[in-house]
Amino acid sequence: MIETLAFWTLFLAFVGAFTAQVARRVQIIRAAPDTFSLDNLPFRVKRFLIDVVMQRRTIAERPAAGLMHAFVFWGFVAFGGYTSIEFLRGLGIVDLTGTGWFAGYRIVLVPFAAAVLVGIVFLLIRRAFIRPVGLGSRVSLESLVIGLFIATLMVTFLLTFQLDEGTAPGHANWWVHMLVILAFLALIPASKHFHLVLSPITVFLKSPELGNLPNLDFEKEQVGLEAVKDLGSKMALDAFTCVECGRCQVNCPAWGAGKALNPKAIILQTQEALLGGDRETRLGAIYSNEVLWQCTTCGACENQCPVGIEHLPILIGARRGLVSNGEAPGYLGAMYNNLERRSNIWGLGYDQRTKFVQSAGLETFDPAKHDVLVWLGCAGAFDADFQKSLRSLFQILRGRGVRFGVLAKEKCNGDPAKRTGNEYMFQELATANIEDLRAAGPRKILTSCPHCVKTIGRDYRKFGYDVDIVHTSVYVEEVTRGVPLTSGAATSTASVPGDAAATAPTQRPREIVTFHDPCYLGRYGGTVDEPRALLSRFGGDIREPERNRDNPYCCGAGGGLLFADKEEEPGSRISDVRFKQLRATGANTVVTACPFCSIMLKGAQASAQAETQFVDLMTFVSSRLHTGDL
Amino acid sequence: MILVIAEQREGKLNRASWETIAAAQTMGGDIVVLVAGASTAGPAADLAAAQVKEIVTVEHAALEPYTPDAFVAGLQNAITQLSPQYILLPHTYQTRDFAPKLAARMDRSLITDVTLVKIGSSEPVFVRPMFQGKLTADVVPVGQAPHFITFQIGAFRVDAVAKGSAAAPVRALSVPVDASAIREKPEAPFQQAKQAVDLSQAERIVSVGRGIKEQANIQVAERLAEAIGAEIAASRPICDAGWLPMERQVGSSGQTVAPKLYLALGISGAIQHLVGMKGAGTIVAINKDADAPIFEVADYGIVGDLFEVVPAIIEAVKAS
Repeated sequence: MIETLAFWTLFLAFVGAFTAQVARRVQIIRAAPDTFSLDNLPFRVKRFLIDVVMQRRTIAERPAAGLMHAFVFWGFVAFGGYTSIEFLRGLGIVDLTGTGWFAGYRIVLVPFAAAVLVGIVFLLIRRAFIRPVGLGSRVSLESLVIGLFIATLMVTFLLTFQLDEGTAPGHANWWVHMLVILAFLALIPASKHFHLVLSPITVFLKSPELGNLPNLDFEKEQVGLEAVKDLGSKMALDAFTCVECGRCQVNCPAWGAGKALNPKAIILQTQEALLGGDRETRLGAIYSNEVLWQCTTCGACENQCPVGIEHLPILIGARRGLVSNGEAPGYLGAMYNNLERRSNIWGLGYDQRTKFVQSAGLETFDPAKHDVLVWLGCAGAFDADFQKSLRSLFQILRGRGVRFGVLAKEKCNGDPAKRTGNEYMFQELATANIEDLRAAGPRKILTSCPHCVKTIGRDYRKFGYDVDIVHTSVYVEEVTRGVPLTSGAATSTASVPGDAAATAPTQRPREIVTFHDPCYLGRYGGTVDEPRALLSRFGGDIREPERNRDNPYCCGAGGGLLFADKEEEPGSRISDVRFKQLRATGANTVVTACPFCSIMLKGAQASAQAETQFVDLMTFVSSRLHTGDL
Repeated sequence: MILVIAEQREGKLNRASWETIAAAQTMGGDIVVLVAGASTAGPAADLAAAQVKEIVTVEHAALEPYTPDAFVAGLQNAITQLSPQYILLPHTYQTRDFAPKLAARMDRSLITDVTLVKIGSSEPVFVRPMFQGKLTADVVPVGQAPHFITFQIGAFRVDAVAKGSAAAPVRALSVPVDASAIREKPEAPFQQAKQAVDLSQAERIVSVGRGIKEQANIQVAERLAEAIGAEIAASRPICDAGWLPMERQVGSSGQTVAPKLYLALGISGAIQHLVGMKGAGTIVAINKDADAPIFEVADYGIVGDLFEVVPAIIEAVKAS
C-alpha cells in the first residue's frame, strides 16, 4: 500500500513535470497567428506510413544509423502496451500481468528488446566516439543519458526473465525500470527527444509540397515574418520537433561551401526565440540578415528532414519581412528594378526576345493550330547561350512533328521575386502572366526552365490557374521513344509520330557524360529518370556525381543568388564546389537541364580554367538526331 | 536671355556644365552663366573663356556644402534678379535634387533629361527620351518664363563650346541665404571603397576575357587601352584568377558600365557579363569562336585571334 502511494507520488510529480513543459509549448504553438493545413489527406497518410512507420527518410540517407534508429523506434512502439500494463499495476488500478496473453506478449518483446539494445549501443558509440559532423561539435550529455536510459530499460526488461519479482533484486529491478521511464518522461520535452512525441504529428502536418509558401494577402496587410510573434503554428511545431540530426546542415549547399547559413541553427534559434518569450524580437536579431540571404532555396534541408520540418517557409518568410522593410541586399534591388521596368531579370529590352522569336521562326501560340505552348522564360528569351539549347529543342520538336507556338509576350514567371521574399512583385508578375496564359488557352506548356515548371505549375495554382506544364526533358523523352537506335538509315516505324527516319539517332560513339540534376527539376519536380533515359538513349554513358537525382547539390543560382556579389560572402562559391563534384566523376562533358545551372557552372568552369565541356540536354539530344535541313 | 547654371564642387567645375553651355549656344541669344558656392572665383575664371555675355557669381558660405534648401533659396533670388527666358542646367544628381523643388517653388515648367534642341522659326522644341529610351518626345514649355531645362549628360559635346575672343566679364551678385532655414545637415562626402576604380564613368573600356589565356598577355590589352585612352576591365574568370583586381570586373557581380566604346577581347559573352555592359554605346567584339554569344550584342564583330587583331588595331590607331 505504501509502495503504491509512493509510486503514485512519483508518478504525479514526473508526469506533472512532463505535462507542464508540454503545455508551455502547446501554448506557444496555439498563440501563432495561423492554423494547420490538412490538404491532400491521402498523401499525408501515405507519407506517414512510409516516413514514420517505415522510417524511410531516417534510413535512406544514413542506412546504418537509420536502421538502428528504426530498431529503437519499432521497439518503443512494441513496448507501448507493456509499459502501460506495468503502470496500471504500479498505480494499483488493475493487474493484468498474470494473464496468459501477457506472458506471450513478453516473449514476443524479447527480440524487440534485443534489437533496441543493439540499436542504442550502436547509436551511443556513434554519438560518443564517431561523432559525425552533423551532430554538432560537442557531445550532448543529455543524449548520452537518454541513450543509457533506453539501454537500462531493455536490460531491466530482459532481467525479469531471470529475477523473481518476489525477491529483493527482482523488486528493485522493477523499480529501476519504472523510475527510468518516469525520469525519461520528464526529460524529453525540453530536449531533442521530444521528437518521440512530436515528429509523427509534424510529419503528418508537413505540407505535401516542398517549399510551400502560401501567398501573402495584402488586403490583410500581411507583409511576411518580421518578429517572433509572426511565426506560424507549423513553424513553432517544427522548432520543438527538431531532433538535431543535422541532415539539413550537411545537405545544405551554402553550409557546404563554408557560408554562415546552417539550416539546423535556424530551427534551433527559432526554438530558443519562442521559448525566450519575447514575441516582439525582430527575426533579424535571431538569425542575422546576412545568413537569411545565403539560402538558394534548393530545398535540400526540408526534403531530407526526417521529422517533417519545413525550413523554407521560415527562411523565405523572414526574407519577405526584410523586403517589406526595404532591407533587401543591393544586388536584389537592381534585379527588382529590372523586373519592374522590363519584366525580366536581366533588365534587357524586349526587342531582344522578339528578335529571337523571329530568327527561330516561332509562331504565336494558337490552340487551334498548336499542340503545345513553349514557354521561353527569361533565359530563353534573352540569353544567347541558352537560346542555342532552345533552337535544339525546336529542331527536335519539328523533327517529331510536334506543332508548337509561343506567347506574343511573356513576363518573368516571378520565381526570383517569390524566392527572395518580394511577394508583391511576384503576385504582379504572376497575375499578369496568368491573364496572358488564360487568353492563349494552352492545354500543355513545355519549358526548358525548371524554375518556370515549379512556379507556373505549383505556385500559380494558388491563384486558381491549373495547367499541365512539363519540363522539356519529360516531353522529349516521350516523343523520342521508339526511335530506332541503330544508324540514321533505319526505317521508320508506324507507331512513331512524325518522320522517324529523319530523327533517328546517328551513329556516334558513346560518350562519357555526367548529369547535373537541377534542384527545381530533381528535388522539387521529382524528374530524375527522364533526363537519364534521354542521355542513355542518345549515346551517353552516365557517370553519376555525388549528390544526384532527388538530392542534388545546388549550382548556387537559386533564391536570387544568381546576382549575388561574391565579395560580400564568406566561404567559397557554391558553384565552384558543385563544379568540383562534377569534375570528380571523370567525365569531360557535363550535361545540364536548367539555364541557371548552366550559367553558374560555366562560370565556375571558366574560373577554374578547366576544359570541361558543357552541353544542354536538348543540344545533346538534337546533335545525335538526323534532323534534315530543318 | 538664357541663364546657364554651372555646377562646381570645391572649386572644380563639373564637365557637364560645359555641355550645357554648348546647348545654350545652339539656341542663340545672350547667355549668362551662373556659378554658385562658397568660393567661386576659380570656376568663374574658367567659365569666362566661353563665348557668353557674362559670368555671374553667387557666393555665400551657406551654399557649401550643397544643400537643396540653400540652393533653392539662393537661386530663386538670383533668377528673380536676372529674369531670364530659359534656365539651362546639366542633368546631374545635384540638379535632379533641387531643380524640381526650385521650379515648383517658382511655379514654372521644367523639362528634364533633354538630348536635343530643335530650333525652328518659333519657340525652341526640346527632345527628351521616354519609356526607358524606347521613344523620344518633342516638348515645348508652357506658362510664364523662365522655363527650366535640364540636359542629359553627354548629349552635347564639351569641345563644341564656342570660346570668346576675350574673357567674359565676371559679376558678383549679392544674394541673401538664410542659413537657419536650411534643414539638411550634409555628412562628409565619402566614396565606397569598392568603387576605387569607377568604371561607370569611363568613356572607353577595353575588357578582357578568358581568351587572353595568360596573365602575361594582359599587357596586350593594356597597350590597346593606352593607345585609345581607355580603362581596362575584365570578365569574371580573369578577376577570379587574380590577373586583374576584382574592382575591374564587369557584370552582374561586378560593375555596371556604360561607356561610349566597349572593346571585348576574348570574352564569350555569358549573360551575367552582358548585363553589366548592355548600356555601352558601341560594342566591338574580338573572339575566335564565331558562335560566341558576345556577337549577338556586338555592333562590330571580328572573328579572329586577338593576338593578331589587337596589335593591328594599335598600329592603325597610332598611324591615324
